[in-house]
Amino acid sequence: MAEKTINQEFTKGLWSENPIFRQLLGLCPTLAVTNAGVNGLAMGAATTFVLLFSSIVISSIKKLIPSQVRIASFIVVIATFVTVADRFLAAFFPDISKALGPYVPLIVVNCIILGRQEAFSSKNPVFRSIIDALGMGIGFTISLLILSSIREILGSGTFFGMPLTGAWFKPWLIMILPPGAFFTLGLLMGIFNYLDKKRR
Amino acid sequence: MNIYTRMIVVLTSIGLISGAFLAGVGTLTKNRIALNKQREINEAIVTVVSGAKISNKIYEERDLTIYRVNNEKNEFLGFAVYTGGVGFQDKIYLMFGVNPEITKIYSLTILDQKETPGLGAKITSKKDFLQFWENRDCTEKITLHKPAVNAPDQLSPHEVNIITGATISSEAVVNIVNTALEKIRLLKQEGKL
Repeated sequence: MAEKTINQEFTKGLWSENPIFRQLLGLCPTLAVTNAGVNGLAMGAATTFVLLFSSIVISSIKKLIPSQVRIASFIVVIATFVTVADRFLAAFFPDISKALGPYVPLIVVNCIILGRQEAFSSKNPVFRSIIDALGMGIGFTISLLILSSIREILGSGTFFGMPLTGAWFKPWLIMILPPGAFFTLGLLMGIFNYLDKKRR
Repeated sequence: MNIYTRMIVVLTSIGLISGAFLAGVGTLTKNRIALNKQREINEAIVTVVSGAKISNKIYEERDLTIYRVNNEKNEFLGFAVYTGGVGFQDKIYLMFGVNPEITKIYSLTILDQKETPGLGAKITSKKDFLQFWENRDCTEKITLHKPAVNAPDQLSPHEVNIITGATISSEAVVNIVNTALEKIRLLKQEGKL
């Protein structure tokens, strides 16, 4: 297969290889924390940070790591950056840190991150790995934002905490509960598949 | 270098470098995290004991911390009690203020909870729940009033309002407060407060 251009390397994470809607990776935080826009954005940003720095480190030291211990090495590097993100949020954004609860430490086991290290960073140069991580991270963040905005608007009548609907609107409680996450994700995935089919 | 030595050297090095890096990050953020926690407690004390200016931690054990609260003239206003207990989904942490005789709850605020959004999470809402905790008589056990009423004056002095659809969360808060009240009365009898 011909090597992708830098532009293609970046945009694949946004659409054709979008981690949530195309690869169905990282669904645990996707479903769990998207009950409010700000939570979706914070989780997306924290995941992008971990993905980016893990990719930089792993693509830089890939030749030093024996293949037998590569997964263990990746996990240690990922866990380090997850802890940094967790401490940073607790120190500077305590309210968001509280709202995200255990899902920040759980970024360690987010398949998107380990998946990108194994499939991409461990086989590609640093610059390409950065572009790939940014594309995947931004694709993940945008997907969480879409999901969380829909759920927050319908479930709470607000958008990023700002009241959006009048008193006539009775929020659909189910949208901020777990079933709302599954319904919204399923519908969005259906729309993505439909648009993708049309595009081809 | 044979492969086994290389594996050990690489993993150990990555572990050591990561550990050192995290130790640095931990040191840099430790004070700020402690400061956030302290600020949250201080704000809660002012919320639950109106006029609070000076507060001193006088008792601490697992899930129970008691602060002695004075006003700016250094007059003793009462106690601010930080406590926690089991809720519907996870532990609920709250703070309430009581008078020096432990006969009246001034007010209550929720500091941490993971109850169901839109239902149990209403325990953090002033309109739905917290306003009904103001100036409660705690000479006897606090009880829940069912069904829910619209205004605090429709309740007996020792009652608080239930949240419709979130009985377990409402009961959990009442139980946490009653348990803490029992404990602080005992501590007062023992002369520890």
